[in-house]
Amino acid sequence: MTDSIDRRRFLKVLGVTGAGAAAVSSCGIGPEPTERLIPYLIQPEDQIPGTATYYATTCRECAAGCGVRVRVREGRAVKLEGNPDSPINRGRLCARGQAALQGLYNPDRIAHPMVRNASGTFEDIDWDGALQRLAAKVSESRGKGVVFLTGAEQSSFGDLVDEWMKQVGGRRMSYEPFAFEAVRAGNRMAFGTATLPSYDFANAKYLLSFGADFLDTWLSPVEFQNGFSRAHAFDAGRPASMAKFVYVGPRLSLTGMNADEWIAARPGTEGMLALAMAQVIMSQHLARLPADASRLVGLLSSYSPRAIAQLIGIDQETIVRLAREFARSGGGLAVAGGMAMQYPNGAGIVAAVNILNYVVGAVGTLVKFGADLAIGATNTFAELATLTSDMAAGRVALLFVHGTNPAHSLPGAFQQALGKVAYKVSFSSYLDETAAACDLILPDHHPLEQWGDSRPRAGVTALQQPVVQPVFDTRPTGDLILKLAGKSGTFQDYLQSKWRTRHSAGFDQYWMDSLAKGGIYADAPTRAVRLADPSKIGFAAPAAPATPAAFANQAQQVVVFPHPALHDGRGANKPWLQELPDPVSKIAWHSWVEVHPDTAAKWGLATGDFLLLKSAFGATKFPAWITRSVRPDVLAVPTGQGHTAYGRYAKDRSANPFELLGAQANEYGGRTFLVQASATKTGEHRKIVTTEGSPRERGRGTVEVLGLARAKSLHPGDAPFHHEETPEYAGDAVAWWAERQHEKAEIGNYKGEQPRWGLAIDLSKCTGCAACVTACYAENNIATVGEELMQRGREMS
Amino acid sequence: MVLILALPPAALNGQQAQPASSRYQAPVISDTGDLKGPRQPIFFRHDIHAGQDQIPCMYCHYSASISSEPGIPSLQTCMGCHQLVGGSTPSHQAEIKKVRDAWRERKPPEWVRIHALPGFVRFPHMRHIKALGTQSCATCHGQVERMAQVNEISTLRMGWCVRCHMKNNVTRDCTVCHY
Repeated sequence: MTDSIDRRRFLKVLGVTGAGAAAVSSCGIGPEPTERLIPYLIQPEDQIPGTATYYATTCRECAAGCGVRVRVREGRAVKLEGNPDSPINRGRLCARGQAALQGLYNPDRIAHPMVRNASGTFEDIDWDGALQRLAAKVSESRGKGVVFLTGAEQSSFGDLVDEWMKQVGGRRMSYEPFAFEAVRAGNRMAFGTATLPSYDFANAKYLLSFGADFLDTWLSPVEFQNGFSRAHAFDAGRPASMAKFVYVGPRLSLTGMNADEWIAARPGTEGMLALAMAQVIMSQHLARLPADASRLVGLLSSYSPRAIAQLIGIDQETIVRLAREFARSGGGLAVAGGMAMQYPNGAGIVAAVNILNYVVGAVGTLVKFGADLAIGATNTFAELATLTSDMAAGRVALLFVHGTNPAHSLPGAFQQALGKVAYKVSFSSYLDETAAACDLILPDHHPLEQWGDSRPRAGVTALQQPVVQPVFDTRPTGDLILKLAGKSGTFQDYLQSKWRTRHSAGFDQYWMDSLAKGGIYADAPTRAVRLADPSKIGFAAPAAPATPAAFANQAQQVVVFPHPALHDGRGANKPWLQELPDPVSKIAWHSWVEVHPDTAAKWGLATGDFLLLKSAFGATKFPAWITRSVRPDVLAVPTGQGHTAYGRYAKDRSANPFELLGAQANEYGGRTFLVQASATKTGEHRKIVTTEGSPRERGRGTVEVLGLARAKSLHPGDAPFHHEETPEYAGDAVAWWAERQHEKAEIGNYKGEQPRWGLAIDLSKCTGCAACVTACYAENNIATVGEELMQRGREMS
Repeated sequence: MVLILALPPAALNGQQAQPASSRYQAPVISDTGDLKGPRQPIFFRHDIHAGQDQIPCMYCHYSASISSEPGIPSLQTCMGCHQLVGGSTPSHQAEIKKVRDAWRERKPPEWVRIHALPGFVRFPHMRHIKALGTQSCATCHGQVERMAQVNEISTLRMGWCVRCHMKNNVTRDCTVCHY
């Protein structure tokens, strides 16, 4: 009898806890609505109603590859927690990871395959019909250009796509809007290797970031947050605590806000500062120099602080002081990236910072080559630009897009080129800008619904397993590819066969152990690197800001930076991330442009006034947010908003700053995120949606400060701050209340005492990333209120 | 896949365990309109299962002692017996046929919920059973084994909860139930 029964399809969700109606009925208003209890047909063996099950899997919200444990109740994923076994995030998870659930249960998910009909609109199609159509297109397009475009995908799925593309004579390309071409090019310049190293923040004694927003978006933010907190926080028992952190960059990001000192160098001069520091360290013998450092003398001689302080925009004493502090800390770590690597001379900046690390001996100890972070293996922007021109020239007949949305981050060029591709197939779960321009949409399972793996760095292979039944009529893209390639089995079989090659003896046990742990974790051996020929380090100094005649006199340098929560825009369809205030500006639900108060005064600009930014490539307008966290000659705009599709939460919100950027690759093959633009007031105004009443204390003494010497001399139980536990007038009331509350309490240890519970946060460890806010929304099922109510101050967090 | 059919011990040897004379006999019910409580899609009689046949509560509601939710038995549990037990009277047979049909059609019955707490209250079944024992279901649910159709005998309101907590001298901290 049971042979014919598909057990998985059998599962019916037990409706015991589901109904919101219960909350209403209990208020005693009106008759109680009838609730239904629907039992399982067959009880799953490993599930107890009302008791959560945790599954280890991998977060796919960015390429960092953090391990997660998903709490599942009655077949529904309800909360993501960091997996403590994972060496990447060690049990932590960021806001974007928390919000993966809202991708899974997103109301705008594509529920079934769709095809564009003759009138140009999408209509539903069944899977068999869609696959037949696709198979025909594949054989028809053979030899005419087949391209499979993915996001950062160092995984078995990526391998499968590679194999299939080889079979059909196509090629795979991977694209990330914020990629790391500059770091690769800079590492090649300095050390002859184009790979990305791992950075040991935890053991650094002095941190110097040249634009690298390692706490918000750079490489592996959760891992770096963890390391940074250890290095930077006060820990009396640890010798390496309270490392000084200096941030160099034109605007303060969340990472910059955590710095002890901010050097607002002119955009593009970060590399000069690094070389000047290296020059000071070498000429004053501040560190034990590596043997071959003498080869650098020639290069560094032209970067004395005296020669270049003016260009950077700081005084030379500061450079000398920074160099001394950095070298004498005995554990200095400098990182370059983020904004600094998106300038036209980004690769040179990275190479310069590499040299600074090299002269103090950080390379090999704190900067470890050999990890080969997978995000560095994506195709460069130059290669994508080639693809775009191939598409525009009609040399691509069939394009597959999976896990990336280039039509949003390349709004002009790519979108136009898409129109020239004969047949476009999207595997997107959401109707984003790219999917909306495709001919066939074959929605993939959400990462929480399917098998997979991911190799974020050498030694680590994170495993991904389905934690819930598919919510909609979607199919794993891996299964489709196997079917189209004429291979038997599902992607799960393919994945297991890949893993079997790694460990064939006792595979079943190995597989179960890996599943339970969330993957296999090993340390990659550190590879020694040697200094390349220093004469090859091309370091173009940025030209003085040019003012083309075409621009108005308000020509400005505009920095386009990734939003910490929405990133390149992929987070914009998740209300938890939309409602999460940006950690720096505290603005939610819309975009903004950062303007320094001096500049604003010059232009007669108030917060909320719209500025029209016009570059050589496009024009968009944003409301101004006036802040001292940006240089006076720089405007800064976050990405993330400005979607023309991508569901109800993302669509038609603010403008898309990618429109300001060019689609041409720069000399190291990356994309330039710094543009010259004119800024003009449009006369429009809007109320900024911000949760910040005031950025100042206003004399209320809300922040108490403890000197380091005093902190070091503290003993457990000491009360360093003077404050009364209970005001005198309230003492009796509190005592009475506590007595009534607990007089007969038997559980816990609070008999005879007057317990008062509190939640303490170590602010020396807190970076302000706001992951806790999103985690609270997830854990306590808190509603988001939306832009309008938030504007009126009615947010729930 | 093989289904394991298991019969509850009492259903099989209940007759040997007690002399027939002292055994509870569930009444024959001809008019269901007079019964208290909401009408269910299947006229499942707790008085026959738990009363006459003496199947322990926890045989079906097995998760009550290990989870906050008592669990509604899956249809598989029903079929464990009713694969073989077809009913002795035409009315019983008609109801059991509904169970078998539901199993065949893979469409579990939608029971009408009787005991419901508001969403802001947590009631962990397992803690109460740990404190009061596995025979204590009747404390809140009443003599279900004498009910032909289950009805609510307690208000399930806060005063009712607190009264019992006072009587047993256990915690009355707000956050024990409201969190």
